Amino acid sequence: MQGVDGLEVGKVKMRGVLVLGTVVAACLLLLTVQTRGHSTPTAEALAFVTTPIQSGLARVNRAAVTVWATYLDWRNVRGENRRLREENQRLRVESLQVLETSTENDRLRRLLALQQRLPLTTVSAEIIAREWGGWVRSLTVNRGRGDNVARLTAVIAPEGLIGRVMEVRSGASVIQVLTDPASTVGAHAVRTRTAGIVEGDPRGTMRLKYMARDGGGIQVGDLVVTSGSGGVFPRGIPVGVVRAIDDRGSALFHYAVLAPVVDFARVDEVLLLTGDTRRDVAAAFAAGG
Amino acid sequence: MKTLFILTVFGGGLAHATVAPALRIANVAPDIPLIMVVLLALRRGPEFGCAAGFVAGLLQDVAAGGLIGVQALTKALVGFGLGAAGGRLRVTQPLVQIPGLVLLTLAEGVARFTLLQLFRFPAPFGELMTFVILPQALYNGFIGAALVFALAWTDTLKERAT
Repeated sequence: MQGVDGLEVGKVKMRGVLVLGTVVAACLLLLTVQTRGHSTPTAEALAFVTTPIQSGLARVNRAAVTVWATYLDWRNVRGENRRLREENQRLRVESLQVLETSTENDRLRRLLALQQRLPLTTVSAEIIAREWGGWVRSLTVNRGRGDNVARLTAVIAPEGLIGRVMEVRSGASVIQVLTDPASTVGAHAVRTRTAGIVEGDPRGTMRLKYMARDGGGIQVGDLVVTSGSGGVFPRGIPVGVVRAIDDRGSALFHYAVLAPVVDFARVDEVLLLTGDTRRDVAAAFAAGG
Repeated sequence: MKTLFILTVFGGGLAHATVAPALRIANVAPDIPLIMVVLLALRRGPEFGCAAGFVAGLLQDVAAGGLIGVQALTKALVGFGLGAAGGRLRVTQPLVQIPGLVLLTLAEGVARFTLLQLFRFPAPFGELMTFVILPQALYNGFIGAALVFALAWTDTLKERAT
């Protein structure tokens, strides 16, 4: 039995060696034929056989390279697209930041210009909180007791009057805005010199209450400025523009609905008039109150 | 058997023509047909390995457009040698697979160079070894190890399924 197995193994080995020998011989023959010269008929026959195979393989290789190159291009384009999107987003954010900074710069320049024009002692402040409910309309600024801010200090913006300080804390003050229902300011119409009182309104607007027999000439578009009476606000600060007249016939008082000259919702920086306020500051405002 | 032979050898050739350009790193591409020959020789013995090496090498020679028979001979020798020694090698270990394939590729490269020298191929051995044979040998080592690992994993899955 072992003898038969040994014979089988020997046969297999022999067959393997035979295959190897054939292969080696074939290869050496092929190499010899090729290196002996290209014009021999055997080399010609070899080229005749191999050329179509070469062409086919080259075509497959070219197709594969094209597919691969297309894939790489697609991947690059996708990556570039993503990178450009990110860059676009970053630039948008930067652009918004620049715009915001530019706007803030403009606001601060105007405030500084006003501060320099005013013949009064002022402290600039930044608004840090807003109370915009119907009951109370107030702003909180980042200046308080330590900044010489007193109760009833007038607060203005480059466009005109904002209100007065009602509460002073350490490091912050609460300003009662003109549209607050409890706010009253002595004022007059610039064109007719009609005096009255500007009152806040629960609807968030203001109205000028005036005596009809003296101020019958008030018209829509008239500018109303502070009168300076009472000593809280300097004379001549723009308060609002007449938007409508509430004609009450023969009543003693008439009302003019005012549009505030300051957009209280958008104001970010203000000036607090901390010194003597008994001055006419009309010339310092662009509206020329 | 024949189907496996055709699929592996021609598949290797096709893979070499199609996938190898994509796998090229710093101008070095793996010798996929050599890896296939090694795998076949280890699994099917010297006779099969020798034939597979011859056909795969011949295909490569024809595709390359150089001397036909060089790679056919070297790969046939590799296939035969590895097939004959396969029973005595523990090739399931990555620590054997990687250096094994690296050494085999180096041996094949040296054999190819020697053969080409016999047929007056003018190339400096040092540069050829540094820039072509050695990088390809290292690349083959890793690709081959990955393939052996994948095959072993497939075999395990098949066994579990049965």
